[in-house]
Amino acid sequence: MKLIEALQIANAAHKGPTFHVLLACGFTPLHLETAVKAHLRLGLPTRSITVRTGLYGDLAGTLENARELFDAVLVVLEWGDLDQRLSWRSAGKVNEEVISDARARLNRIEKGIAALAERTPVALSLPTLPLAPVLHTPGNELNRIEAALWEMLYAVAASTRAAVLHPQTLGRGSAHDLRTELMSGFPYLFAHADALAAGLIRMVLPSALMKGLITDLDETLWSGVLGDDGPDGISWDVEHKTQFHALYQHLMNLLAEAGILLGVASKNDAGLVDKALTRPDLVIKPQNLFPIEAHWRPKVESVERILKAWNIGADSVVFVDDNLLELEHAKMAFPEMECLEFRKDDARFLVELRDRFGKREIREEDELRVASLRGGQAVRRAAADNASLDTLLAGAEAKVAFRWGKQPPNPRALELINKTNQFNLNGIRYTEADWNAYLSEPATHLVVVEYEDRFGKLGKIAVLAGREQDSGFEVEIWVMSCRAFSRRIEHQCLKLLLNRWDPVRFRYERTERNGPMRDFLAEMAPDGRALRRAEFDRRCPPLFHQSVRTGD
Amino acid sequence: MTDKQQRLIRCFQAVFPELNESEAARASVSRLAKWDSVATVTLAAAVEEEFGIQLEAQEIEEMNSFQSFLNRLDDR
Repeated sequence: MKLIEALQIANAAHKGPTFHVLLACGFTPLHLETAVKAHLRLGLPTRSITVRTGLYGDLAGTLENARELFDAVLVVLEWGDLDQRLSWRSAGKVNEEVISDARARLNRIEKGIAALAERTPVALSLPTLPLAPVLHTPGNELNRIEAALWEMLYAVAASTRAAVLHPQTLGRGSAHDLRTELMSGFPYLFAHADALAAGLIRMVLPSALMKGLITDLDETLWSGVLGDDGPDGISWDVEHKTQFHALYQHLMNLLAEAGILLGVASKNDAGLVDKALTRPDLVIKPQNLFPIEAHWRPKVESVERILKAWNIGADSVVFVDDNLLELEHAKMAFPEMECLEFRKDDARFLVELRDRFGKREIREEDELRVASLRGGQAVRRAAADNASLDTLLAGAEAKVAFRWGKQPPNPRALELINKTNQFNLNGIRYTEADWNAYLSEPATHLVVVEYEDRFGKLGKIAVLAGREQDSGFEVEIWVMSCRAFSRRIEHQCLKLLLNRWDPVRFRYERTERNGPMRDFLAEMAPDGRALRRAEFDRRCPPLFHQSVRTGD
Repeated sequence: MTDKQQRLIRCFQAVFPELNESEAARASVSRLAKWDSVATVTLAAAVEEEFGIQLEAQEIEEMNSFQSFLNRLDDR
């Protein structure tokens, strides 16, 4: 983004609930503040943005005195925040003492961040500018004092609850504008301020991450053409100089551990593919691949079937193939799907692919995802026929656990709310701060739903929240993972509420993607607004779950 | 109005979005209460970006009107 564009975006009239940000830095925030406002406006088009900044030269004090409730805190650390003698504007004589002085200052900053991170998302960037020339050592050599300072900074990065911007993401381009630093106290070139703002904001706003990867096989998962070379002729090893494919397979295993769905769409002989996938030296675990579509029909048909099996939208999926024609064809059929060319021996390809799915932490549900999809196949097939679904569910030994309560906050609840599109009452997304504020309202109730049956454990798959109203209950938030469809868990949720409140009302809003919720409400509460216990009893199909509730 | 003036007006309007074209072309520190030292530095950065020039710190401090920026651009 250019400065003029950022100013235009930041200064444009805006409406909506306020998103309140603290930009904590020890220098004059100037164009960084503009860039932060502009990126927040782009990321949160329905909110108005306010940015509070602190006092010049007192980052620690800014953090310590931040008593307001912020939606996000951005902390931009530079050398002068550790000790003014290290900054270009106040460069002074430096000796070993600077290390202990910097440690004391950094401790205050770390404590300030820790206190804020208890209640709001915090993003931190470590110094991005070169140290002022205050040390005798030439710049190509790492001075012991500078090394000690970096050691302290990395120790903070390793232990803080804040999300830390990777120093290498900002590239090695020029960042420093000494002229404006000396003149106005603002040390960055605008391009650097822009990249810094974008990087920090990406870490504090909820983002729509990709959920699935569909890969080709020949010249992609492995080197060679299975039909020509045979299962023993394909390779992914050092000997054949095809190790890049092993790295790709390794990355796919890593993604699977994080709950990313991995499918195969390949024009190939199914029998040969089965044989290739049993090779003992295969890096990817074959159980991580589901479904495998290997046949001679068009790949777009395979993609369609995979999306159906996963029950997710094409806009949450990346398709990787070495064949540009196949990619083009897939893009035409699924314009929302990201179609990526497999770029052999290109390190950036692997890194960029990883970043499309990157997660800060992995939860139990992530590990359960593929297994539960496989197990759910029988349920989905039976769902087409109510009689066979009844039989299947009656023997499923299903247990639904309803965990009432708002404390301690369950991070999986917010994750589900922000990533679920289909069974979603109104599509409203929450920032961490919004969510904490919602939970802190005494009138609100929250229930997190867990499920397991003899086909496997699904983990925490649904979230319901709302408040008592008159003698009834208004559901304000209701999401359920698509993995849990066709098990009548949603009916069991309504039963739970109606056992306690009557009627249950819904704050339903139609979205582009919440068709399954719309269909369900049409069946159970045709006016889409309220449901009484007697109506529910009339309309509800047989339920076979063992229901357990805790809390509240 | 020349292309240069149009582009300079765009810079001024980015910093002072409430100004129309003719107000931007007549803007000066004395006419505009919002024009403070921060606005001067921001205007200078916007003009540098738009015209691909670099102003010296001394010059920036002397930029106190639309006309002074225009004169500097004419001198280049």
